[in-house]
Amino acid sequence: MVIDLAACDGCGKCVTACSDKHFLPPDREWLRVFKMKDSENGAPYWFPRPCFHCDDPPCTRVCPVGATFKRQDGIVLVDNERCIGCRFCMAACPYSVRTFNWGHPDNPSDAVARGYSPEWGYPRRVGTTEKCDFCPDMARLGKLPHCAAACPMGAIWFGDENEDAVTSGPDKEHSATGANEGPGAAGDRQTVRLSQLLRDRGGYRYLEDLGTKPRVYYLPPVNRRYPAPGEPDAEKGAPVRGEQR
Amino acid sequence: MSDTVRATSPNVPSENQDAQAVESYLLSTLDPVGRGGRFWILGLLAVVAVGAAAWVTQLVNGLRVTEMRNYVSWGAYMGNFVFFIGISHAGTLISAILRVTDAGWRRPITRMAEAITVFALIVGAPMVLIDMGRPDRVMNVFIYGRFQSPILWDIVSITTYLTGSILYLYVAMIPDMPILARHARERGRSPRLVRLYEMMSLGYRESAEHRRRLALALGAMAAIIIPVAVSVHTVVSWVFGMTLRPGWHSTIFGPYFVVGAIFSGTAAIITAMAIFRRAYRLERYLLPLHFRHLGKLLLVLALLYAYFTLSEYLTAWYGGIEADRRLMELLAGNTAYGLTFWLWVVFGLFAPIGFLLFPGRRSIRAIVAASVLVNIGMWVKRYLIVVPTLQTPFIPAEAAGITPWYFPSVVEWAITAGAFAAFLLLFTLFSRLFPILSIWETAEDVDEARARHVRVPAVAAPQPGSAVRPAMLLVALIVGGLTLLAPAIPTNAVGAQEAARVELRRASEGEEDVLVAAVTVGGVPAPGVTVEFFAYRHLGLLALGEDETLDDGTAAVSFPRGLPGNLRGDIRFRAAVLSPDSLAGAAAETVMSGGVPARQDAGEPPRALWSTRAPTGLLVGITVLLLCVWSTYAFTIWQLMRLRGIKGG
Repeated sequence: MVIDLAACDGCGKCVTACSDKHFLPPDREWLRVFKMKDSENGAPYWFPRPCFHCDDPPCTRVCPVGATFKRQDGIVLVDNERCIGCRFCMAACPYSVRTFNWGHPDNPSDAVARGYSPEWGYPRRVGTTEKCDFCPDMARLGKLPHCAAACPMGAIWFGDENEDAVTSGPDKEHSATGANEGPGAAGDRQTVRLSQLLRDRGGYRYLEDLGTKPRVYYLPPVNRRYPAPGEPDAEKGAPVRGEQR
Repeated sequence: MSDTVRATSPNVPSENQDAQAVESYLLSTLDPVGRGGRFWILGLLAVVAVGAAAWVTQLVNGLRVTEMRNYVSWGAYMGNFVFFIGISHAGTLISAILRVTDAGWRRPITRMAEAITVFALIVGAPMVLIDMGRPDRVMNVFIYGRFQSPILWDIVSITTYLTGSILYLYVAMIPDMPILARHARERGRSPRLVRLYEMMSLGYRESAEHRRRLALALGAMAAIIIPVAVSVHTVVSWVFGMTLRPGWHSTIFGPYFVVGAIFSGTAAIITAMAIFRRAYRLERYLLPLHFRHLGKLLLVLALLYAYFTLSEYLTAWYGGIEADRRLMELLAGNTAYGLTFWLWVVFGLFAPIGFLLFPGRRSIRAIVAASVLVNIGMWVKRYLIVVPTLQTPFIPAEAAGITPWYFPSVVEWAITAGAFAAFLLLFTLFSRLFPILSIWETAEDVDEARARHVRVPAVAAPQPGSAVRPAMLLVALIVGGLTLLAPAIPTNAVGAQEAARVELRRASEGEEDVLVAAVTVGGVPAPGVTVEFFAYRHLGLLALGEDETLDDGTAAVSFPRGLPGNLRGDIRFRAAVLSPDSLAGAAAETVMSGGVPARQDAGEPPRALWSTRAPTGLLVGITVLLLCVWSTYAFTIWQLMRLRGIKGG
């Protein structure tokens, strides 16, 4: 996954889509948008934080029962049928990605009807952890994760590193709901070469020095296509057409 | 609280005490409890019941009844766990170290110390179970256990420690068992109790050979239990230290926790000594000397702990790495934790040091006061290790409008109180069944004293021996299963338009490879048509560029270099007409070689900390360590089993 911080305007539609599609209770977000400011004089920017699906995942290291595991396609998932609820993974994750079912979850009938798989994480169970799963069930269908598909700015790119390609842009399903607006949305998906995107845009990984080898890259918030958070005309949910890069 | 347990007043021993006097005096502590004692036991039972009820509430409703949430996901239970495992070190230090170094003054306090170890472990270890979201799945740890996880290290080392300390406590109790059996028979106690004592005596009698065997067993246990205890608290600290969190990921966490454990354990034993001394009128055996010796030890440990604390936090503060700086602001700055931290420094560290430092003021009262302060302070300190770090994540939660906060709920306090009550209750009941001062060792002490003053030849004291012969094999296996789910590649139908026809092929143009699309309309090459070229990727079409057809109806773009294909290196390409609008939509697709073949996935995941298979070195290391310890246990048990067969005595 590649997240373009120059394109993210903090509208939060990714969070809403993720929460809706995974039937998340209101006490948690798998994907969270932070308003960051790295230094005193630095400009603030929006920072969407999914699970980084690290190549050396600290959560998976410490799991005593292998309930959280890394698949050969690189995706880190949680099996809530095996999880013992020790929450060591939550303590070990440096990015505070993981959430826990503290009480008995309220599973909607749709969630129950689909049946459980670690690939979508519901119906959820009391006393188990869960987190962003990169929507492998969508990837099987050749579709983008819900967050990427819902982003009106096309700020979230997703793809298979083995193919050296990432794709962004709203799904038809999402454009039908009116989310398909803004400068990133040419109406169609866009696919680019990952290596070139990272090279051209100075892609980096968050907290690289921790050595977790995240699988999420960020493109620095330069030449933004929206006003920085806190600027007078910055308004959540109202992407402003800025200059194209 | 020290007056609540009071046995019916035992006989005051005569001035010239001897082994017999010691025996009868210490046995008198087993006399039926008085009214105060009954109230004490009932009170403890009530608190335990409240704690148990709180746990049932938690089992029914989930951990929602605690105040732990997604940011602060560990709290009081983990604090309790570390605290109890910490005070369990009392037994090891006082008993094993002093036994190994043959410090004579240890004798009246070894039993008490060893009992603290066992009961603190019995109460502390289940704290992890209480903290678990799914205690019903605890068996998964044995079915799917991964030795890469410090939790497995914890389980293995605490199990080893508990087994060892029970064995150690028991071995040192054996010589008292025949005495207890005789005493119970004489007093007309229940035959079942007599039988229990007799069974536990393993046929031990006072003979040179029995003593030799016992000394061998005891020596082996005393030697091995010290490294086991050190490993236990090191591993407990590693549950925190092995994470990358600020304030936890510290190289000194192992020794810091071990020193903290011995520190709080020594304080615990001084507190216990004071209570039992008052309750059972043991002033004759628990002398000011014992308090002074342990007080000096406590002073040294307090200074050591202060040194470690300074070293740990001054480094973090002075270095001032972003995350460390935020933690230090929370932990020692102008916050609730900061206030608690500095109160702990003053009352949990400096005040005890003050009480213990000046020899003139080092009375029993001052030493006990220092110990109680240390006990309370160390619980607070454990809490301050667990919570503030979790409140200081790398990505500040405040940036998302969230303020993590934690203070234990009523349920958590009730369970904590219940745990402390259970600890005291176990201790009390133990002291009702077995004398809290070791009869044989205390008598030995008296004998030795007489030998020094009256020149009466003393009974040969057991020589601590330490023979370790590896004899047991332990095999650790990990079972885990992963399913590889290979994504399916969709095949798209080729769209075509009546009017235009596109053909796609690869060609060489000078030194460069190109993708060529030939556009024809009704069999005639169409010039001036814009064609866009794509490569199929799993989630979309990778645009390779566009070109206008020449007079021969061909358009071309460079063949993408280094683009991954499938396992054979094949790539599906697409060429589609963009303009003019009349021809738009015409397209062709061809699968061509020339891509970089995808890597064939290795069948098995590598051995790594994160994978299903643990690194070989880790498994070998754990196995070797366990072999050493458990073979020593086996040696001890073997010695005990041979006690009964010894003739004579």
